[in-house]
Amino acid sequence: MNTMVKLDSKFFMKTILPRVIKAAIWGVISYLLVYYLPQMLLSSDMVPMDFSESLFDYGLITVFFVVMGQLFSGTIIGCGFGIAKALTIMVFFFSVADGGLFSMTLPITEVVVNLTFDISVILVMIVSVNLFDIARNLLEAISILTDKTTQMNWKLK
Amino acid sequence: MKIVIRMLKIATIILWVIIFFFSATAVYSVTQLGVSTGEPKILPSVTGIRFSLPFSINNGGYYEIADLNLTTRVTDQQGTLLDETETFVHSIPPDTNLTENHEISIGLNDILSVNQTLLLLEDTDFNVEVFAGLNFAHAVPVQLSLNTSIPWGAPFANFEIQETTVSDYNETHVHAIIPIRFENHAILDVSGTLSIEAYNILGQSIGFGTTTINALSGYGVYADIPVYVRHQDVSSLTSSGRFHVVFQTVMFTLEWDEYHG
Repeated sequence: MNTMVKLDSKFFMKTILPRVIKAAIWGVISYLLVYYLPQMLLSSDMVPMDFSESLFDYGLITVFFVVMGQLFSGTIIGCGFGIAKALTIMVFFFSVADGGLFSMTLPITEVVVNLTFDISVILVMIVSVNLFDIARNLLEAISILTDKTTQMNWKLK
Repeated sequence: MKIVIRMLKIATIILWVIIFFFSATAVYSVTQLGVSTGEPKILPSVTGIRFSLPFSINNGGYYEIADLNLTTRVTDQQGTLLDETETFVHSIPPDTNLTENHEISIGLNDILSVNQTLLLLEDTDFNVEVFAGLNFAHAVPVQLSLNTSIPWGAPFANFEIQETTVSDYNETHVHAIIPIRFENHAILDVSGTLSIEAYNILGQSIGFGTTTINALSGYGVYADIPVYVRHQDVSSLTSSGRFHVVFQTVMFTLEWDEYHG
């Protein structure tokens, strides 16, 4: 019983604690880069729309998946979170950008201005990067599984 | 396998960096765009009136603005198209200031050709639909549309035929004076010949008179038109009948009917 507790604490100190610290650091960095910095730089005067809600959602998605990715890095679960992150970001950008055609209405004095941005090129770039990410995570998962199978074979021999 | 995974990871990071770099510089570039419009001017032209809208775009960003297209459609209250003008700028490179003038010309002949005589007799507002499109950084097409209105002053606003006075001329005819008044609310002066043909209730012509009119922009016009009619037709002139009014200038000929009685 005592040995088990010692082993668990050793495992916690050597494996879990560094991962938690690393995940926490990456979480803070992601929060600063993805949410805090853009909100500081892009004041509401510069962008004529309420982007804070979308930015908060994006920040939440990014920080969550970065933390989970770091906690489970090098495992099949980590790869699953990587794929889930890529899919979530694709869906998020599609829903925020209305499929690439981003429209808004600006009342300027007595005139109502309809503004439409076609950001489908940027959307295609985001989708491409996320598809790359999905492919990488799948390959990483296959690699982990292959490594484990090889180790088992060696042990059996 | 590990090399492929590493290469894919590097490629993903590079692509994310490119996307963020492009997005950040694009947003910065948009903030460095200076769009200003000058004082819109309504000027008289040879054929009618001209709306002039000067605008300038200062591209202080990093990316080119391409295929800038400004289109205006002017319609009357019934939706009849009076003018469609397009201003196209092929390219505004970075650190360039562009000054252009968008001009909308509405000819009085155009108004008459679409059978909109009422527009020359009554003040109204024209609807103006503005469409603008541009291609930002050859990657993000932007479109803008808005509806506004411009005031239209009629050259024969509040046209009125006042009470006719009659005096004897000879044994067969009387000398009638048909006083007319109107206000020229248009931006341009209107000069020409105003003719009035009087008809009785049966539609028979009973007399004709003409005078020269020079209506200055923004001023009222009062004129007397002399008409000679037979004694028996006086009642048709003063009580009930129809006046066919023709205003003829070098630019246009306007005809309409005024009923009385």
